[in-house]
Amino acid sequence: MIRFAALRKQYGALVAVDDLTLDIEPGAVFGFLGRNGAGKTTTIRMMMGLLAPTAGTVLLGGHDIRHAPEAAKALTGYLPDHPFLYDKLTGAEFLRFAAGLHGLNRAEGGRRAADLLVRFGLARQAGELIETFSHGMKQRLALATALIHRPRILVLDEPMVALDPQGARELRALLTTLAADGVTIFLSTHSLAVAEELCTRIGIVDRGRLVALGTLTELRARAAATDGAASLEAVFLDILDAEAAGVASR
Amino acid sequence: MTSLLAPRLLATRNAFRRAPLRALVAAVLLAFFWGASFALVARVLGYFQTLGDFGPLLTQRLLALLFVTFFGVLLVSNTVTALTTFYLAGDVALLLAAPVPFRRLHHARFAETLVASSWMVVLFGLPVFLAYGVVYHAGPLFYLATTAVLATFVVIPAGLGVLVTTALVLVFPARRTRDALLVGTGLLVGGGALGVRWLAPERLAHASGLAGFAAFLGDFGATGSPYLPTTWAAEVLVPLLGARAGTPTFHLGLLASTAAMLFVVSATVVERVFLTAWSRAQAGRVRAGGAERPLTRWLEALARPLPRLPAVLLVKDVAVFLRDASQWSQLVLLSALVGIYVYNFTALPLGDDSPLAVAMQQLAAVSNLGLGAFVATAVAVRFVYPMISLEGRAWWLLRSAPVPLARLWWSKFWIGFVPLVVFAAGLVALTNGLLGVPAGLTAVFLLTLVPLVAAVVSLGLAFGAAYPRLDTQNAAQIATGFGAIVYMLTCLGLIALVVALEAWPVMRLFWSARFQVPLPARETALVVLGFAAALAVAVTTFALARRAGLRALARLPA
Repeated sequence: MIRFAALRKQYGALVAVDDLTLDIEPGAVFGFLGRNGAGKTTTIRMMMGLLAPTAGTVLLGGHDIRHAPEAAKALTGYLPDHPFLYDKLTGAEFLRFAAGLHGLNRAEGGRRAADLLVRFGLARQAGELIETFSHGMKQRLALATALIHRPRILVLDEPMVALDPQGARELRALLTTLAADGVTIFLSTHSLAVAEELCTRIGIVDRGRLVALGTLTELRARAAATDGAASLEAVFLDILDAEAAGVASR
Repeated sequence: MTSLLAPRLLATRNAFRRAPLRALVAAVLLAFFWGASFALVARVLGYFQTLGDFGPLLTQRLLALLFVTFFGVLLVSNTVTALTTFYLAGDVALLLAAPVPFRRLHHARFAETLVASSWMVVLFGLPVFLAYGVVYHAGPLFYLATTAVLATFVVIPAGLGVLVTTALVLVFPARRTRDALLVGTGLLVGGGALGVRWLAPERLAHASGLAGFAAFLGDFGATGSPYLPTTWAAEVLVPLLGARAGTPTFHLGLLASTAAMLFVVSATVVERVFLTAWSRAQAGRVRAGGAERPLTRWLEALARPLPRLPAVLLVKDVAVFLRDASQWSQLVLLSALVGIYVYNFTALPLGDDSPLAVAMQQLAAVSNLGLGAFVATAVAVRFVYPMISLEGRAWWLLRSAPVPLARLWWSKFWIGFVPLVVFAAGLVALTNGLLGVPAGLTAVFLLTLVPLVAAVVSLGLAFGAAYPRLDTQNAAQIATGFGAIVYMLTCLGLIALVVALEAWPVMRLFWSARFQVPLPARETALVVLGFAAALAVAVTTFALARRAGLRALARLPA
């Protein structure tokens, strides 16, 4: 459903994403982990057509994001790491606007917006300007926006940021349901507990390179000096430490 | 306090270092403005010197009028700025979380408010004071005193502005206060501009007009109230110009002590109530329930006949526009300028049907095409150029939607073009009517305006995308950036070229229509060629700007 082929992004001498090749099957919840500045957001921005890659391709549902961007984007819902919204629109207006951008007709867009406002606990504030929303409410509205057109692929960059414990739990339940319905989820997160709970496969990226890929069990097996019950956090740190040691010795 | 101001100072320094060309262009424009202001004021003061004993009195009153104007502008400007710097700026929360006493916070924000509100007034005032010094052969003491007067004078409206803002925030929600202040400022400035126009300043170009102006100044109060800082400021400088005897030291003392007292009062009040006022400022006006707003329903009904994408973009853009008070203040100001523009045509001394009067009408008609396009450009700078920047950091939503960039561009284009071309055509048709331009020629003008306005809008989108200001949501601020100035100059160049190509054809057509004489075939061919060349220039500019705009949009960070 999602395919990266030799994807690369270079800023002068700095290689932000280095030869990323990866296939993600339909219905998977893929966890994309890495330290700050590892290249996660750059990868996602290339994936969504917001940034041109230096080389390589990204296919979403079989559509190349560079050559058939509309077809690829029509399948995909996106939540950026900092989802800035139009302050002077109301929550309902914003969702209907997003529905229009995705080609939903007025009636369908209105119905879908109303459903999502209820689902994300924003129905009571639907007529208020977004400038009066709290950070968490804005995050929930942005999540609702990503789902407005019933996407087959969901790309989420740090979705848990600003959510309260109840909101975070509801989001985890929602993602599980969506994945069960066949939606492919690409999840970049710093919350290893979330990745451990939700992800069917995990990729760890470091200095722009994919340094580990597999299920949690496979990663545990790969990580040195860990027992079988090690947490994802221990595995994550182990793999990155080993990678850092390898870079230093090179 | 220096550490609290460091982020602003460093950001300004970095902006100059990163874009030296911008600083150079700004310096050239400033030098031009200074030169023109200096020449105008020197001419007026020079005339006053020819009036014998009456001259010093007029000098004094002009100076008092100048300080009254400055004071009014500074008071409004400081009140609006203080609202942002003290109560709405995003970094106040950061400073509140730091172990910074409220008094220090006040001092830093006070300095920021004062500089942000006063630099332009001081900058604009400098050539005026310089002209005074040069015309009256003043000694170095005058220039020193001017510096001292300005340094103390600007503190007084800043102190009052901070106190007024704090009082307003304690009573009303901050956002509503800001909106009301923005629109109020627009009304004040617009009204002021209309008032100045009403005084017919063009009369100053004639000696009789200057005499009239002198009479007006003579009627302007005696020396002003002795309790006003504007009077004190004038009372410091007039004796040093040698206009008459006075007590400059005493009045400078009054200015300095009042400024110091207001600063201390402002610091004490802010220190006591800051947390309460800031807390109140955080609360927006929240409507009860999730009810739909009527504006949205009306806009959606209006946009129903349009295709889906342009309709959703139109509804969004218009709703955001109408809810933004800074746009309303811009609209008020522009309405005043348009009022002045139309009034100017009613005041033109066109005379009768004599050859000279006809030639004047021809000239006015040709100028009207250029001036109409220029007014449209001024509107485009304020409303079309900021369009891309106003999408701001929400650009990710448009770019991640399955919408080709070209369709987004066309949507933005139509939203800018349709109202602008209707406005420009209406303006030119109305003013041509006032000039007595034949209807056929007005139709030719309007046909020329359509591609010209299209090119202006296309350039606006291109420059707006090439010089985005994603750090602000204030359209007025976006429209005063470097890109806006370059955009304006480019449009002026384009308009000048089109008008130059059409000047001769328009004059010939005017002549032909006026005297009912058909043009010879060769002239007709040249007229057609002139219009065709103007059309080609406009269409080529439109196409090139569209291509550049699309490329810049693709590079815009999302």
